Amino acid sequence: MTSLPSSSDVELAATGTSRAGRRRHPLLRYVGIRLGISVLLLIGVTIVTFVLSNLVPADPVQAALGERAAGDPKIVAAFRAQQGLDKPVVVQYFIYLAHLLQGNLGTSTQTHNPVARDLAVAFPATAELALFVLVFSIVIGLGLGLIAALRHNRLSDQVIRVFSLVGISIPTFWLALAFFYLFFYVLGWAPGTGRLDPATTPPPTVTGMYTVDALLAGQWDTFADALAHLVLPGAVLTLYTVGLLIRFSRSGVLDVLSQDYVKAARAKGLPARAVVFRYILRGALLPILTIVGLAFGSLLSGTVLTEQVFGWGGLGQYAYKSATTLDLPAVMGVGVVVGIVYIAINFAIDVVYGFIDPRVRVQ
Amino acid sequence: MIRAHRRLAAAVVLCVGTAIVLTGCSGGGSNAGGGKTLVVDNSFDLKTSDPARAFELTGSIVDHALYETALTFKGGDVTKPVPGIMSYKESSDDKTLTLTMNGKHYFSNGDPVTVDDVVFSLKRVQGIAGNPSFLLDGVTVTKKDDKTIVLTSASANPALPSILPNPSLGIVDAKALKKHGGSTTKSDSAESYLNKTSLGSGPYMLQSYNVNTKVVFAPNPHYAGPKPAYGKVVLENVAGPTQKINVQAGSSQVALDLNADQVKGLSGGKTRVIKGASPYLIYLWFNQDAAYSGGVTDKPDFLTAIRRGIDYSKILSLAGEGATQPGGLVPSQFLGSIKADATDSHDTAAAKAALARSGYAGQTVTFSYPNDITVDGIQMETFAQALQAQWKAIGINVSLSPSPIATFLDAYRGGKLQSGIMYWGPDYPDPSDYLVFNPGEDLGLRAGWKAGADPTVTAAEHKAAAALGDDRAGAYADWQRAQNASGPFVPLVQPGQYVVTSSNITSLQLNPVWTVDLAAIK
Repeated sequence: MTSLPSSSDVELAATGTSRAGRRRHPLLRYVGIRLGISVLLLIGVTIVTFVLSNLVPADPVQAALGERAAGDPKIVAAFRAQQGLDKPVVVQYFIYLAHLLQGNLGTSTQTHNPVARDLAVAFPATAELALFVLVFSIVIGLGLGLIAALRHNRLSDQVIRVFSLVGISIPTFWLALAFFYLFFYVLGWAPGTGRLDPATTPPPTVTGMYTVDALLAGQWDTFADALAHLVLPGAVLTLYTVGLLIRFSRSGVLDVLSQDYVKAARAKGLPARAVVFRYILRGALLPILTIVGLAFGSLLSGTVLTEQVFGWGGLGQYAYKSATTLDLPAVMGVGVVVGIVYIAINFAIDVVYGFIDPRVRVQ
Repeated sequence: MIRAHRRLAAAVVLCVGTAIVLTGCSGGGSNAGGGKTLVVDNSFDLKTSDPARAFELTGSIVDHALYETALTFKGGDVTKPVPGIMSYKESSDDKTLTLTMNGKHYFSNGDPVTVDDVVFSLKRVQGIAGNPSFLLDGVTVTKKDDKTIVLTSASANPALPSILPNPSLGIVDAKALKKHGGSTTKSDSAESYLNKTSLGSGPYMLQSYNVNTKVVFAPNPHYAGPKPAYGKVVLENVAGPTQKINVQAGSSQVALDLNADQVKGLSGGKTRVIKGASPYLIYLWFNQDAAYSGGVTDKPDFLTAIRRGIDYSKILSLAGEGATQPGGLVPSQFLGSIKADATDSHDTAAAKAALARSGYAGQTVTFSYPNDITVDGIQMETFAQALQAQWKAIGINVSLSPSPIATFLDAYRGGKLQSGIMYWGPDYPDPSDYLVFNPGEDLGLRAGWKAGADPTVTAAEHKAAAALGDDRAGAYADWQRAQNASGPFVPLVQPGQYVVTSSNITSLQLNPVWTVDLAAIK
């Protein structure tokens, strides 16, 4: 996450002389380096996804064609030519890369759609769910983690730790089925599968996130419907993410609590709220930020089983179907998107590190 | 400090409360079933709605609703094709099929269906080299006049009338499709258009299409047949366990992918269960190629031991209610099917005697199967484990070799696996579809059974293929008995098929070709 310190940077940061005007600001340089690394990582992602996809010991032609068609050499040859599988692997990679630069991720052998078009539908569905989960998870997880740390070893701490353990331990697939059965079938509180009721027409596509698009179109009923459908899968994923965040925020806050500057703040008689938010939380933010980033990346990469239970039609379901049917263009497309998601989130976290902690950017 | 805690706690409670209120406000699930909307749950294997390219179960459901075919089947009876857009007459030698326009039919844009549309649609299936192209292999399509077309086959093709109702041979509006890249060659580029706009004369037309989530249908205002009962049909992609909860809760009206265990207790009350015989055949194969047989599976006595070592009653109990032991390779609902006889019964003494004659010396036999698919809700692994134990009891050592279907298919279709379990679904409801199990044919070669390897079976095959009219059933029965006597295939089980509906659905019929006719659900 950090680069090696440059002696000139250290000098500039330390002296703040006029030479700073001729050199880039440390933060800008820091951002520039992170950006460069991100681009290199992205190229690496394309190579890794392509190589791994082609190392699978199976023929995608057999997976894509039906029983009879797979036995017809003419149809097999036509399919290979159409998918570019009749060319050497290295040539296939450079063709793939050239197409990728133009935004062309190939055509899915399963959906027969351009992969980019499939992803443009699947990714916003997952992103909508991930954002919903993240907002609740940060508020609840951070809050409970903070309470648990501040009330260390008391009853509330114990209860919150058990809650966290339960959240992390219960398999999301089981929880999804249990929630669906209980809240949809038994209690009738939640709507069924999918992102909207079957009778509801999706709002005009702007972002692909139904709640946002419904708001933009002023369709309040559709917005309420989409929001209601988010709750159950959101609650399942939130429970896991909250469990994770509680543990990290609790331990992060506990570390900070014993720091001298917190003790000094308290000794000075600062109000409790100021101590918590200005000193404790800020000090504990770096590890929390890391886990929030990873959790968000994980949610955005698709939550396969939860999406499967709730028929969400997001990236997770698409990735699962692509992998099991050996739909290589789709698998590589998902790989690239997931790679971009993680790289972008790491980049953003690195940059935020630089803002939060001056030591990071000076290094 | 205490105040800060309280505020934090209040914030947390507020968040949780908001979530609960939101959930509560949704008001107990969708009421999609109300009014004129029908919701059907299905585990999608959908790839396209272009009839000339679709050859999957979900694709058949979709295309049967969107496109009429030249001939069709009435309800679930697939033994006799009936007129669709056209009526038909076969020549005495079954080489020529004459199709004549059967009344007026209209596409959803109001244009009448013409002979030119039929010719174009059939030639398009042949020309674009898609999965269903083989259906019309060796068939020449010719327009005779404005009301008649002639389908000519080089050799007798008695199955052709049973092939024509396949939804892949749905009739499209040629004029409209040509404007959007439609052609009868590999250069055809109309698929993406057809996935947005249907160009058929079926009872429904496409309202929206998402290959991963759902397909929505609206009635075709120009449909020539009876008006469908529902003004909107939603075919949703839903996993099996969720389908059960959906139909119980009334969120959907039809669940298509539940197995025998899942439908237990669903008869009566809010739901009812429709049972039928699945068109799928689950079979075993044993490689006859010396390169892969290990000197074991190509021995006739070893195959006899395998057959007699199977306890079918236990296999059927694993498959669930409604499953049957097939007598041969042709499923029970098709012409030429036979019932299981005494030679297929469990007899450990006979099995051990045959094993001793085979010279088997305890070698381990590798038994392969795909472990990530189900057939009518049944996993292959269930059978594989039971068979391993049953064969162990007669002295055969079997090593199970599961793999994902994507990697399994490569080795299986290449004829490189020693033995295993797989399934076959009908391409069309005629016994001739099962001739691929013969020596030198597609499935025969997967079992290393090369052309000329078994003259008796090949002679029976030729006789069955050449039989016409009433002689066909008997000829196909004889062919299956010859297969059972010396072939490398063991028909294991024909599963039951179940559809669960809400109790307000009064009419739904299963069909082995298109599973369910959405327009006929009432």
